[in-house]
Amino acid sequence: MAAFLSGISIVCFAASYGVALACEASRLVFRSGVRGAVMVFFAAAGLVAHTLFLGWRAAASGTLPLSSPFDWYLLAAWVLAVAYLWLALANPKTPIGLFLLPVILGLVGAATVASREPFLHDAASLFWGRVHGAFHLVWSVSVVLGAIAGSMWLLQAWRLTVKSSSAGGLRLPSLERLEHVTSRTPAIAAWAATAGFASGLILNAVNHRRGLMETVPWTDPVVMRMGLVVAWLIVASQWAAMARRRPGGGRVMAWLSLASLVVMAGSIAWGLAGTTRHGRPAESPLGVADAEVVR
Amino acid sequence: MMLALVGATHRTVPLALRERLAFTAEQAADALARFRDRFPGREGVLLSTCNRVEFYAAGEAEVAAPPVEELLSFLAECRGLEAAALAPVLSREHDEAVVRHLFSVAAGLDSMVLGEPQILSQVKQAWTIAQDNRTAGPLTAGMFQAALRTAKRVATETALGRERVSIPSVAVAEFASSVFERFDDKRILLIGAGKMAAETLRYLRAAGGRDVVIVNRTASRADDLAARLGAKPASFDELERELAAADLVVSTTGSSEPVVSLDLFDRAEAHREGRPLVVLDLAVPRDFDPRVGERPGVWLSCVDDLAEACDANRRSRQRELPRALAIVDEETSRFMGDMHHRSTAPVIEQLRAGWSETGEAELERLFRRLPHLDDRDRDEIRQSFDRYAAKMLHPPLASLRSESHAGPPHGLLDALKRLFNLKD
Repeated sequence: MAAFLSGISIVCFAASYGVALACEASRLVFRSGVRGAVMVFFAAAGLVAHTLFLGWRAAASGTLPLSSPFDWYLLAAWVLAVAYLWLALANPKTPIGLFLLPVILGLVGAATVASREPFLHDAASLFWGRVHGAFHLVWSVSVVLGAIAGSMWLLQAWRLTVKSSSAGGLRLPSLERLEHVTSRTPAIAAWAATAGFASGLILNAVNHRRGLMETVPWTDPVVMRMGLVVAWLIVASQWAAMARRRPGGGRVMAWLSLASLVVMAGSIAWGLAGTTRHGRPAESPLGVADAEVVR
Repeated sequence: MMLALVGATHRTVPLALRERLAFTAEQAADALARFRDRFPGREGVLLSTCNRVEFYAAGEAEVAAPPVEELLSFLAECRGLEAAALAPVLSREHDEAVVRHLFSVAAGLDSMVLGEPQILSQVKQAWTIAQDNRTAGPLTAGMFQAALRTAKRVATETALGRERVSIPSVAVAEFASSVFERFDDKRILLIGAGKMAAETLRYLRAAGGRDVVIVNRTASRADDLAARLGAKPASFDELERELAAADLVVSTTGSSEPVVSLDLFDRAEAHREGRPLVVLDLAVPRDFDPRVGERPGVWLSCVDDLAEACDANRRSRQRELPRALAIVDEETSRFMGDMHHRSTAPVIEQLRAGWSETGEAELERLFRRLPHLDDRDRDEIRQSFDRYAAKMLHPPLASLRSESHAGPPHGLLDALKRLFNLKD
């Protein structure tokens, strides 16, 4: 059993999601009675492999799958994959995968280049580390779902503007339903990002006091980019709340959701490219080996 | 001849004559009762809709289906018409053509609007009336069940019936439903009280629309339509207020000038609190100033926009037609094969009975000579005999079944009769 679980690789579930995406894309080309079942089968198979992969890593390391940037990306992709499977089963005629699966594959791709080094923790920082990671997961997933709903809103609105029938093409959800998502996700993302930022500050203080990690200064790229993201999300959520009661507010909320995704993607790219002390163990006087002893 | 059809459809017979030929449910029941008396032992189903009147008759062996000319006279007699007047316009079909036609009709391939689904319930209803009047039988049962199966296959395996083709249905199912998820919490305003308004409202009601207000210049017509469709009438002077309260507007007046100018709309818009508005302007000339559609949050569609969508849907249905016809062909071949095979049943029965009789006689002789056999041994020997007979009969019966797919297997049946000395 252990040999089987350890044999599951990222390629297994990425390939399954890839096949599900190909099935979704084939909606644009031809009709098929069995496509839905094939699509759900591959998405479910991918999700099972994905779950086993994360479960195996958690069991092997004895921590939650939030203990490294690599795990964090995979967990975010897993949450979105669960959302995709649920939405695909509840709305079989809506091509939600065309919008969601590329993001899932993107997060899996980001995981492959992200660091697999676990953050170091003692009992106190473990709690704040989990809170910090979980809030980041919530705002990221909210932003992605909001952006997907926003792009669908804009596509549906364009169709209505050019008076295009949905016949033979993609059947998208109604504007009302999409607005239901785009009007809520900015606020959820803003609250979660703020809470994630605040818990990060507490985590930093705890780590600094115990000498486990290097103190992350305010000028650190990760802190700066996260500060900007939080600021943007607060502005976006207020803007969306005001737009909701104005004519054409649906379009404003859709663009705000997409802009939030761009901000998030820019922040990730900045994080991957820049040098940071975020999540780094302290070099002295308590070295890595000492920190592991504390853990 | 096992199957016969006489009928008038929208393709060949003008509406005036179809109206005279049409049967109500009671008249159809009466006609079927007369058919039963006139053609005892035959099966009959009468399908009467606004686009067709068709009589399907069936019979087996010596009680064959009535000749089509007799059927035509019968139909004319039922409606008090001259058979000679109907003869040139009514279509007549036999056997396989009858099956193919019924399957096409049930699947909506012979309908005025290609792929329309209502015909299927009308076919089911015709079958029920025949059952109630005891003119349905095994042949028509098989044929109508196969017709329903064909219609279901066409509906699920092709996109023929998926896209809507009437302006009100496209307006509601594609445009309004693209904006609103539900209609039960929306305020619907109907401007005008004509046929188009009533038809659109029926689709909106089916989609869940409840809160409907009708505004019309002639208040009495608004009152009538509101009473008929369970809506609320409102004075034409209240148009601005109703416009401010509405989520969806359907406008169908015969006015030569726009009923809703940009100024009027802007005044109403000030009280709308940014709620989106769907406007289905189904009037010609248009009731809404086209610039209203440029206002943020307003989704305006006029007749031309909807007509284009309808045409696109019609073209999409036409593209599906070859696939639907292939299904009809496949199901027709399958049904005809089964029907031909069914005609071989008496020969097969005689063949089996002959083998069984001979086998039983041999077994009795064997058991008399071997009295020490207990019941268990006897059962074993009897089962061996049965298996042997079944294996020996399998090749000729399989040949009969396979031959039936190409038509009635007369040659094989004659050969079997001569080889095994079977009587007719």
